[in-house]
Amino acid sequence: MRAQAGMKLLTHNLLSSHVRGVGPRGFPLRIQATEIRVSPVDFNPDFVTRMIPKMEWTALVEAAESLGHLSELPRQLKEGYEKDEDFLRKVHHVLLEVEVVEGTLQCPESGRLFPISRGIPNMLLSDDEATS
Amino acid sequence: PSPPSPGEPPSPLPAGARYFCTVGRGLEPFLTREVGARLAATEVEYVSGKVFFTTNCGLTMLKQLKSAERLFLLLKKQPPLFISSRSKGKVFNEIQRLVTGDPLCWVRAVSIWRSLLELEENLPPEVAKPSKRKTGENENIITKKLKIEQTRVMPGDTECQLQKQKNDKIEEHKDLTTEKENFQEEKSENDGEKEVEHHQGKLTFRVSCRCSGTIAKTFTTEEVGRVIGIALIKQFGWKADLRNPSLEIFIHLNDIYSVVGIPVFRLPLASRDYIKVAGLRSTIAWTIASLAEINVGAVVLDPMCGLGTILLEAAKEWPNASYLGADVSDSQLLGACDNLKSAGLMDRIELFKFCVTELPLHSESVDVIISDVPFGKKFKLGKDIKSILHEMERVLCVGGTIVLLLSEDLHKYLQDYKESNITWNSSKDNTNEFKIVKYVNAEEKNRIQENVSPSFQDDRQEWLDKRPLFGTLVQMECHKVSLGRTEAFISKYKKIHDSELQQPS
Repeated sequence: MRAQAGMKLLTHNLLSSHVRGVGPRGFPLRIQATEIRVSPVDFNPDFVTRMIPKMEWTALVEAAESLGHLSELPRQLKEGYEKDEDFLRKVHHVLLEVEVVEGTLQCPESGRLFPISRGIPNMLLSDDEATS
Repeated sequence: PSPPSPGEPPSPLPAGARYFCTVGRGLEPFLTREVGARLAATEVEYVSGKVFFTTNCGLTMLKQLKSAERLFLLLKKQPPLFISSRSKGKVFNEIQRLVTGDPLCWVRAVSIWRSLLELEENLPPEVAKPSKRKTGENENIITKKLKIEQTRVMPGDTECQLQKQKNDKIEEHKDLTTEKENFQEEKSENDGEKEVEHHQGKLTFRVSCRCSGTIAKTFTTEEVGRVIGIALIKQFGWKADLRNPSLEIFIHLNDIYSVVGIPVFRLPLASRDYIKVAGLRSTIAWTIASLAEINVGAVVLDPMCGLGTILLEAAKEWPNASYLGADVSDSQLLGACDNLKSAGLMDRIELFKFCVTELPLHSESVDVIISDVPFGKKFKLGKDIKSILHEMERVLCVGGTIVLLLSEDLHKYLQDYKESNITWNSSKDNTNEFKIVKYVNAEEKNRIQENVSPSFQDDRQEWLDKRPLFGTLVQMECHKVSLGRTEAFISKYKKIHDSELQQPS
């Protein structure tokens, strides 16, 4: 039976807690993973090159580290990374090949926990918690 | 005509064959564009519900068509039958003449159909058509002969060789039809026979008929089907088989045209082998994705994804993007998960449980939003759609695209809202004020908008259309499409920069 897919670090980098009153302090969500899946994905340098500018780099590195998959990723983005294939492959691995199947995401400001179950993060807020 | 790509068998028809597709109403322009782009199609024309085109591409490429319902080899396209005050018998004769008037056309079409299937599938005829019953020795001999001749054809051979083979085959058919004596006087449509009689070179066939307009008032589809059926049996000695024919004949008669075709595939193109359970018509889903301008490295979101149909179509066609799907329903998410697994797209599409009115995403983090906005009672007009649009606008990057499928009611609501002069503020996060403002100097991909003054009545409609729907969301296109029993609108928006908005004077 093929393993369940999970939340990738690329997507985690886009997620932000929307608990009422939290605002920009709701990022990045802290990952606590109980099950991780690493699975190969076809490398597309063009895709990676275009994704990097969309990422919050520090948060990406922190998240990768917390999962034990820092993979020699530098903590600072260097100029000219578009031409460094070795670097791009490392980024590719961190963005796309590491998935959280089971665990939680935690809002750094409110402490609210969002469970990840069978690869699907549940970020539904109750009416009280929500901003509107 | 472009040469076949490596791996694809040589085109059986260097000069091309003529086809038509049935297509959902409203999708004709999209299919027209698609056949041009995918198949380098020529002589493309369309009427309501059908697109006609010529191409020399093989079945593999033809099967890629995403906005079409079914694909047919075109046999005949003629002006409509003249019905009026003529006797029924006279009209029957004219229907008959669809067959008898040009038998070579039929033989040729069947030959093309056969060579398409056999060359492409590269299998012996018995295996290529697993549900086809053996209709006799002679037919197998003919097809085997064709295969043997083809193996002698070296790659890079000229047109002439293939043409010669086609001619040989036609000759053989002709011989068969002249020598047979046992055509049936009575129609044999109600073939109760389980066993096939070993007639020489006989195809089994079934006629599917569609009549609308004037002709439908006087004739039933059964009557028309029967006339054609009998004519075919008499002309070619084919055997009718309603349950499991090897060949299907499709006839559509209406006030605009008379069209006859042979379906190329058993299943409609719209039925995808990579979608387990479709939530939305696959053709509509693909069309929505095709309008969204999904580039390499795009972040694409469907915040009401249901079973994930739109994301599946998008990820299949534009694989080098990042796809996110969200829904509030566990059962839908489970179904979507199932669909992703079946399609082998688990690596490309990620699922979340969250609500579209509360997106847990950064502002300006998404490049494309594609969604089928749910119809029905669970969705209230007014408050809900505004919250939804507000959130979509927030997470969308400037220059980003939104393509939504809207019900007629919702579409009307949004049109009315746009044209009214309601000014209202959102108390949500104090950063956005929603005003209907004049929009001047819209710059689009292929068109540059002139400065339009609202005092010119002629231009007024166009100006109205370009006003922002909502904050910085501007409507780009809107297409009315048929969903079968209901109709809906595919509506495209883009997010413009604040500086491109102008305050009303």
